[in-house]
Amino acid sequence: MFFLRNLSHTINLHPSYYGPHMKEFLLRNLHGDVEGTCSGKVGFIICVLTVTNISPGKVLPGSGLAEFVVQYQAIVFKPYKGEVVDAIVTSVNQIGFFADVGPLQVFVAQKLMPNDFKFDSNGPCYRGEDQVIEKNGQVRLKIVGLKYQATQINAVGTIKEDYLGQIQ
Amino acid sequence: MDGEDYEDDNYDGYPQEPEDEFADEMEPELNDDDDRKKLVESGAKATGFPTPAKAVSKEDRTTTPYMTKYERARILGTRALQISMNAPVLVDLEGETDALNIAMKELNNKMIPLIVRRYLPDNTYEDWEVSEMILP
Repeated sequence: MFFLRNLSHTINLHPSYYGPHMKEFLLRNLHGDVEGTCSGKVGFIICVLTVTNISPGKVLPGSGLAEFVVQYQAIVFKPYKGEVVDAIVTSVNQIGFFADVGPLQVFVAQKLMPNDFKFDSNGPCYRGEDQVIEKNGQVRLKIVGLKYQATQINAVGTIKEDYLGQIQ
Repeated sequence: MDGEDYEDDNYDGYPQEPEDEFADEMEPELNDDDDRKKLVESGAKATGFPTPAKAVSKEDRTTTPYMTKYERARILGTRALQISMNAPVLVDLEGETDALNIAMKELNNKMIPLIVRRYLPDNTYEDWEVSEMILP
């Protein structure tokens, strides 16, 4: 699910960036540091919408750098258990297949496919009654398991339910 | 809880058995609202976290406008370090190349863009801009 969240980020600015254009450097730094990152707590930070506050800089003793705390609003993608998502298949093998939901990689094991799905090494792909799951194909799957780690999220999905599977 | 209740010769190195009478004296019962109003708590309750310091507004500042020699030393050191790390210089260089000399020149012209934050013992702080301070 996507959320709009208020987050904060601390930037240590090098003295060579001081001056009238400091704010631009800070914003560029913020976008570069934060967008596209993933943390187990907030999920994937997709993009920064608005910057709500930039604190006055604080000199760090001994290093000459200045510390700024930037508060911003960002669009965040956080997957949940039981969520149904559309994904693109990235690789297929004997154990199952991997699919990407934007930045999130989901694994669907063969056990979590309908019973009539058989692995076909020509392709490679999975063939069901009227469905084919192959690389770059689109699938609709349900997230059944999530593992939040400090810097990444792993997910396990299923297509063994009604209305899940290949999207024609 | 005044000192009169405490008897030194009672102390024999072992913790005293709590007596009901004694406990009453240690924690006076607060019967009515009047008693409660007289109660003064000393300091903030311990929470385990240091409470963030509060700022004193610019009009209510009480510390000296004179820059102390310690503040001067820290400001010159910080600014010289920044200049040595390529921070834009705010005064005319006039051929000066030494970072500390440039910092001193900036200080004499009151051009140093720093703020001194003076933390006080009551967990408040005052902010003084270098440009408004009187140089020692």
